[in-house]
Amino acid sequence: MSADVSVQIRFDVNGTGQDLRVDPERRLVDLLREDLDMTGTKESCAVGVCGACSVLVDGELLSACLIPAVMVDGRSITTIEGIAGPNGELSAMQEAFIVEGGLQCGACTPGQVVAATALLREQPDPSDAEIRDWMAGNLCRCTGYAGIIRAIRSAAAPG
Amino acid sequence: MSDHDARGLGTPPDAAEATALAKPERRDDGPGKVTGATRYAGDRKMPGALWAAFLGSQVPHGRIRSVDASLARTLPGVRAVLTGADVEGVLFGRRLQDRPVLAWDRVRFVGDRLAAVAADTLEAAEAAVAAIEVDIEELEPLFDLELAVRDGAPVLHPEAGGYVYMGGTRPPVAHPNVQGRTLKQRGEEDIEAVFARAPRVFEHEFTTPRHHAGYIEPHATLVWIDDGDIVHVVTTNKTPFSLRSQMATSLGLPPAQIEIEAGVIGGDFGGKGYSVDEFACYFLARATGRPVRAVTRYADELSATNVRHAARLRLRTAVDADGRLLAHQADILFDGGAYASAKPLPHLMLAAGNATMSPYRIPNVRIEARTIYTNTVPAGHMRSPGEVQALFAGESHLDAIARELGEDPLEFRLRNVVRDGEVGTLGDHFREARGAEVLETVRSAMDWGRPLPAGRGRGLAFGVRHVGGGALTLGLRLAPDGRIEVFTALPDQGGGQTMVIKRVLALVASIDESRISVVRRTTAGAPFDPGVGGSRVTHIASRAAEMLGEQLRDWIDERLPRALPDAPAGAELRDDAIVDPATGHILLGFDELIGRLVPAGEPLELTATFDAGTHGPDESGDNDFAACAVEVSVDADTGTITIHDAVLVVDVGTVINPVAHAGQLVGGFAFGVGAALMEELIVEDGVMAGLSLGETRLPTIRDVPALRLVLLPTTVGPGAFGAKMAGELSNAPVAPAIANAVADAVGIRPTQLPMTPERILAALRAWAGAEANPPT
Repeated sequence: MSADVSVQIRFDVNGTGQDLRVDPERRLVDLLREDLDMTGTKESCAVGVCGACSVLVDGELLSACLIPAVMVDGRSITTIEGIAGPNGELSAMQEAFIVEGGLQCGACTPGQVVAATALLREQPDPSDAEIRDWMAGNLCRCTGYAGIIRAIRSAAAPG
Repeated sequence: MSDHDARGLGTPPDAAEATALAKPERRDDGPGKVTGATRYAGDRKMPGALWAAFLGSQVPHGRIRSVDASLARTLPGVRAVLTGADVEGVLFGRRLQDRPVLAWDRVRFVGDRLAAVAADTLEAAEAAVAAIEVDIEELEPLFDLELAVRDGAPVLHPEAGGYVYMGGTRPPVAHPNVQGRTLKQRGEEDIEAVFARAPRVFEHEFTTPRHHAGYIEPHATLVWIDDGDIVHVVTTNKTPFSLRSQMATSLGLPPAQIEIEAGVIGGDFGGKGYSVDEFACYFLARATGRPVRAVTRYADELSATNVRHAARLRLRTAVDADGRLLAHQADILFDGGAYASAKPLPHLMLAAGNATMSPYRIPNVRIEARTIYTNTVPAGHMRSPGEVQALFAGESHLDAIARELGEDPLEFRLRNVVRDGEVGTLGDHFREARGAEVLETVRSAMDWGRPLPAGRGRGLAFGVRHVGGGALTLGLRLAPDGRIEVFTALPDQGGGQTMVIKRVLALVASIDESRISVVRRTTAGAPFDPGVGGSRVTHIASRAAEMLGEQLRDWIDERLPRALPDAPAGAELRDDAIVDPATGHILLGFDELIGRLVPAGEPLELTATFDAGTHGPDESGDNDFAACAVEVSVDADTGTITIHDAVLVVDVGTVINPVAHAGQLVGGFAFGVGAALMEELIVEDGVMAGLSLGETRLPTIRDVPALRLVLLPTTVGPGAFGAKMAGELSNAPVAPAIANAVADAVGIRPTQLPMTPERILAALRAWAGAEANPPT
């Protein structure tokens, strides 16, 4: 038997404290999807290109496939499961993605919504160019992006 | 600008505007997808499930001397290691079963599977894969399409005569390295004689690369065998009944022993019609007695599942003195890769692989298209299969002809476009031939004659695509509380088909859409359907939903006297209630009506089968004409193409889901932009050069220009209320439109996709060099 090299980490996911042992090589995306069964965070390219695994770590937009799980020790993570309100009410961004055609198959959608939510926290009223720059790390193969741009515009200026 | 235009939904169909269908839908799968609650195949887990990993060949062609898994079997956490010797003779495929689950005597491409491991963790499975020793004697590989079909070429499948061909007899092929072939011949038998006497003959050659469908969700599966020996397969496959047949045939099991569960699919674009891991996972589940999961790594997605066929297309066209197309001849080779396994059609070809010039009238035609075996990744279906390659060639060729003749490319197309009552190049009869209307709309939308600023060019491309058919059955259950469930095994790859079913059923029955839910079942619990693809779903699902709505109305009408004995004459179901036609007053709500008619515990069950049937070669078919037009400039220093304006003009039927419909068209445009400018899977000596989603270069939000969408509605479509299709309509014309605009802007003719800055720059320099040093 090889020696146990696992590390105890404490962190917060969507407001709930977690306290568990992880292998130093385990990635955050596996921690979320496999160990915590929070499968809303998707994995696709596994090399930080597609943005399907976008999460917020202490408010910063990151790809969970590139982050060793041990690095989130003491940090606070927001995943797609933490975007809706406490009673499951959809955020303005989530609703906008539905009605504006910001989604089709849905595989990139959690990452898109997390990234777009982070954008509006940084820049509440982004220009189209700012939307394109910020969202360039989230690939979508279905929509051609037009619906995503409309959704972000509409969530930025509700009503 | 209408509200529809402002929301990017295109100009609404007038005929439908007044109806409920003009109201933009709010997708019912939206909340699950925006919250992350929706579970896809790769999100599914089971207690005790093992992870699968696979060993792929590192050589493109070779004879296996040995595969030694003895060390791998001893590693911690490893529960089973299977090699070709364990599954010798087991082959799989959608039509021709020519691909081994695990190779036992010969490998035919880099990535061909040699061994499969099941282990407690993915890390343990991959460690075991790395510990397998392989000894392979390399054989001469075959990469060149022309050489592959010469006499004396190495034969990749000497045992082809023994392969299972599902659903009939495999059409004979003239060379053993040919997978499939189509020959379309019309007009004079000796087409060479037509060319010989034609005033002008033009000839061009084009090449297109492999592409990957690029769905964000990789293939995934979970396979387990229950105590009753039923094989359960959770899968990303979009044609679950077909996968059941394939597995039954490969594994020697009765279909009823296999239950396929394909639910929400994270993108398809053709690639999810083909499954690979499911077969090996069955054997791993059998060997371990445990559930087995596999999620395809993206490197394997690109190199070992199925890709768009690379192609080499030679086109020759004769034109008379009046600029009319006299004859068209094409010789098209598609790189089918090591196996034909991923192709579903009977002739093992691509349906639109000969659609070089289909929206025109050309009396004399000879188009031969072949798919060829090479020692490369197997090729399969990808959005508008064959048409992307054929239309790039055909519409570039036609445009080059127009320019060489000194004609305006739009006028030249208008002169030759097929009109009502005429027969198209491929022999098609069109129920409505709307090509000229599409072209005239391009003229007005682009202000075609307007002079452009220096350095700008304008181009268009134009195609026609059939609406798919087939048969589909939907079941309906009406509960005593008035809730309606429609059940089906039809997967949802994101096209919005559940909303098609709900909206049509609600409209036909005149009930509230919110009381309907579409429940997806496995193949064991739902009636047969042909799955997603071939531009068929909106057509046949909407018609089956329409039939269910009519049945439900009839059922209620018959029983209305029982539910409401004193109902006035003509009382009927309208807007979710029984209404007095004279006063418009509600007599009875739907819930109460159903409470009176459907006894507790005995829900009403209905089924409806819609079969589009087949139409003969001389009968009119339903088609959509579509054109893309762009205005571009080319940076002379970098070769970068910039799209300044893009218009898509499409002949559409009645739109059922305005948001999803526009989404398909705009998404298809982005798909086309990727194929035109960026995407390419480079294979060198059989080895794929870039093995990540970053290197295959899918378009990002920064790469897709704004698109103006112009819908030309008609109610002459085969679907409910005259619906047609949209998903495979808009991607193929994009690349030739851009190529034609580049030719207009800078005078060079791109003949190879993608039109990368490097290629454009090289062409510009070659052209400038030729200008400076004209041949003597």
